[in-house]
Amino acid sequence: MAGREAVRKAVQQVRPILSVDREEARKRALNLYKAWYRQIPYIVMDYDIPKSVEECRAKLREEFERHRNVTDVRVVDMLVIKGQMELKETVEIWKQKGHIMRYWKESQDPKPTDFLSKFLQGVN
Amino acid sequence: MAAIIRRIGCRAISNFAAKNVVAPKAVGAIRLSSTTPAPPAEDKPTFRKPNEAARLNLSNFGRYVAECLPKYVQKVQLTAGDELEVLIAPEGVVPVLQFLKDNHLAQFSNLVDIAGMDVPSRQYRFEVIYNLLSLRFNSRIRVKTYTDELTPLDSCNEVFKAANWYEREIWDMYGVFFANHPDLRRILTDYGFEGHPQRRDFPLSGYVELRYDDEKKRVVCEPLELAQEFRKFDLSAPWEQFPNFRNANPPAETVETKQETPKK
Repeated sequence: MAGREAVRKAVQQVRPILSVDREEARKRALNLYKAWYRQIPYIVMDYDIPKSVEECRAKLREEFERHRNVTDVRVVDMLVIKGQMELKETVEIWKQKGHIMRYWKESQDPKPTDFLSKFLQGVN
Repeated sequence: MAAIIRRIGCRAISNFAAKNVVAPKAVGAIRLSSTTPAPPAEDKPTFRKPNEAARLNLSNFGRYVAECLPKYVQKVQLTAGDELEVLIAPEGVVPVLQFLKDNHLAQFSNLVDIAGMDVPSRQYRFEVIYNLLSLRFNSRIRVKTYTDELTPLDSCNEVFKAANWYEREIWDMYGVFFANHPDLRRILTDYGFEGHPQRRDFPLSGYVELRYDDEKKRVVCEPLELAQEFRKFDLSAPWEQFPNFRNANPPAETVETKQETPKK
């Protein structure tokens, strides 16, 4: 009896956002990836960014890889929803060139990792 | 007999008055002290006195709502004296709002606003508050529900068309997802903005700053160095801050509703 209570407490019944299981969430993420992938040539053309299609695709992959260890179905769904919104903003040209170039973080210096560069930048 | 009683009473009062007040000698003074003066009307213009009849009406209506929708209504309360609040379960947003809009005794046909609230310490940290107005009965009601970052709420766009932009605001500011919303996207923040700025754990300065880069000829976005870590402020003070509001209306009074205990 106590065991059943513990299980009931541990497994919380939650309302799904979109997907009911991991497989569905995975398919949604893949679909989003494909949609971005297919739109990239048009994005490069429309926004006139100084990047090639290959570089953009590498960046796309990097952005998806950043969340590769997310396992919660609802978190995956939320990320897919936000990615979908972002794709729409991009494709409809609501964004501007600066917004697209923001993904590359070109104006940011990478944080120093080894001793010498830390010393030269005055960071300990 | 009555006269005797009156005389005794009068004497008793005069004794009482003689002991407590400066000894009155004249009979007229005794008469005056015998009629207890009405307590002076408390005259505090700093807060509004709620009308008792209106309060009774509101609490009766709240009870009626709770009886009609026992599945969803969790609590009914009056805040600040005479503002009716109905606290509902998150799955009941659409039925409760539909009821309040279409019931002939309510006719809350205007959605004035949807507000959000974030209390990070709670299990369901967000509160979503619907403010409704009934032009027919000149009355307002507040419907409150709760959710967390990942639990979607039902969009009430089907009930009130006004909810479209309000729900987009809530989504943008708090990150509460509304299921079945026709056009859920950002409304206040800039494209490419990350995060939800009205959350309590979002720093006042934001995480990034924008500047125009002359070399690149465009606006660039750089992470901001936060001056201090996330702090919990202790806002309670040892002194009384609003003495004028010492006797103000209580923040919330629960209206007793007949709650049937769920059978197990």
